[in-house]
Parts: sequence; C-alpha cells; structure tokens
Amino acid sequence: MTMEITPVTADYVEMRFSPRWTYISCVRKFVASFFMIGLSDKERAEQISLAASELLENAVKYASEEESYLRIAIAKGANEVDVCVKNKAEKTNINTLRRELALIQAGQPEQVYLRKMEEAANTEGQSRLGLIRIMYEANARLRLEVNDSEVAIHAIFPLEQM
Amino acid sequence: MNASTPSTPITPLYAEGLNVVPSIEENVMRVRMSGAVEMRDPGELLTPYWNKLDEKARERALRRVEVDMRDLSFMNSSGILTLVRWITKAKSHPKENAYQLVLQYDRNVTWQRTSIPTLAKLAPDIVVPAEING
Repeated sequence: MTMEITPVTADYVEMRFSPRWTYISCVRKFVASFFMIGLSDKERAEQISLAASELLENAVKYASEEESYLRIAIAKGANEVDVCVKNKAEKTNINTLRRELALIQAGQPEQVYLRKMEEAANTEGQSRLGLIRIMYEANARLRLEVNDSEVAIHAIFPLEQM
Repeated sequence: MNASTPSTPITPLYAEGLNVVPSIEENVMRVRMSGAVEMRDPGELLTPYWNKLDEKARERALRRVEVDMRDLSFMNSSGILTLVRWITKAKSHPKENAYQLVLQYDRNVTWQRTSIPTLAKLAPDIVVPAEING
C-alpha cells in the first residue's frame, strides 16, 4: 500500500504494525536516532520523533476497531521532511479531527495551545493537545487527507528553517 | 524544620518506565522524575499522585516545590496535561496557602526546552521554569 507522500529524494522510512501502544515508544526512539544521523540536527530529529509519537498515539486511540494495522511513513525530500500516519477511522472521529485541525490552524499557535491546555484541564477525558503540540512545539505544518474512512495526517517540517 | 533536619521521604512512584521520587528538606519539596511519561493514560497514575503532593505541600505550609525533570527523556501530551492540571490546582490556592512550583529542565532536551516554558505561561505568578544544564 502506498502512502502518497512527498517524492523521495533522500531518506525514506515506512513501518506498518498492529495498533499496540507499546510500539509507539519503540518507533519514536528509532525515528529520533535515524534522523539524528540523516539530518545531523538533534533538535530537528527530536521534533520529528515527537510528531511521529503524537500522531501514532492519536491513531491508536482513534483508529476504527476493525483496523489491523497502522502505517507511518517518513520521507526526507529536497525541502522538507514529511511524517505521515495513515489509518482507518469512524466518521465521527474523522469529523472531530477536521474540526480540531481547523480550530488550531485558525489561531496563533501559542495562544491556541495555552487555551486548549486550560480547556483540557477543566474537562475529563483525552488531552487533545497532540496536534497543537506538534504545530507549536515542533514547528511543523499539519495537513489532513481523508479518503472515505481512511485518514492520512501529515506533519511537515520545512528543511530551509534548519 | 531547620537545615539539620533530615529529609522527609514521601512514597515514591515507580510505574511503567517512570520514577518519581519526592522528598522534603529545609521547607522545600523536591520531586525528581526520571524515565519517560509515555503510557496511554498517565492521568490515571499521575493526577492522583500530584494531588497528594499538593496536599502534602499545603499541609506542611511549604512555599516551594521543585520538580526536576532533567532525567525525563520524554513526556507525551497526556502527561503534559497532568502538569497542566497540577498547575491549575496550585493556581487556585489562596495566597496564604500557595506555593511556588519550580519546573527544572535541561535545555539540551528538545521537548523540555519547549514544553516547560510554555507550561509556565499558564500561571506566571506561581510557576517558574528553571533551566539547569548538566
């Protein structure tokens, strides 16, 4: 199955695994080590691994129950690194994700992050801080692709900022 | 309590790759965290634990709680939320019963350098981000 991400000119990693929580830590550490070597930039490598980890956590939490595998692909192109996590999800979760993304992309990232922290502190349940954390703390751009019940979310790191 | 008083141990927390070891010495509570916060729902574990530390700090009328996160390799966003909840609780205490929450971090660890100063912005009057390298 292809991931339809940035054309590869350099490094490319793709993993497919069952949605087990304990794999996330393993993938995060691998991604950090891999990009530490590939980019020679510890900060960027840790930002990329943070994004991979947060996206995978969301995928494990919100993937539809019949989903057997999650897929993560990370491509280093000429101008950017594209971290893409793809999974199937229920329509309600997809709609929530669309709204969430529209909300966090509409405001100034730091203000949105602080506001969402305050909201999350006063409500029960999931933090829903992962996406805004990727935008604000890891300085990535987020892009969502939905094809029926399949969701692909990209965290894109421009290389010219490095 | 004075400088010669030995530190008071409080039950540490060891779970799922995370160690949290608090102690009280010279009217300061010090909380050393190590490992990683990457479990699925850290709130189940950490929120009640932070609440206990909060109660203990107020019971002992402490004015300063230091949380040393330098040996914490990673904290997921659900873990960040537990700290947000602690800060929100600490912010709600009346002034005479309040303490300063000092979050110590290593600027060489990317998530610490970005997350900790951001958390401090939630309550700049009581939360102090303290960069300690090495």
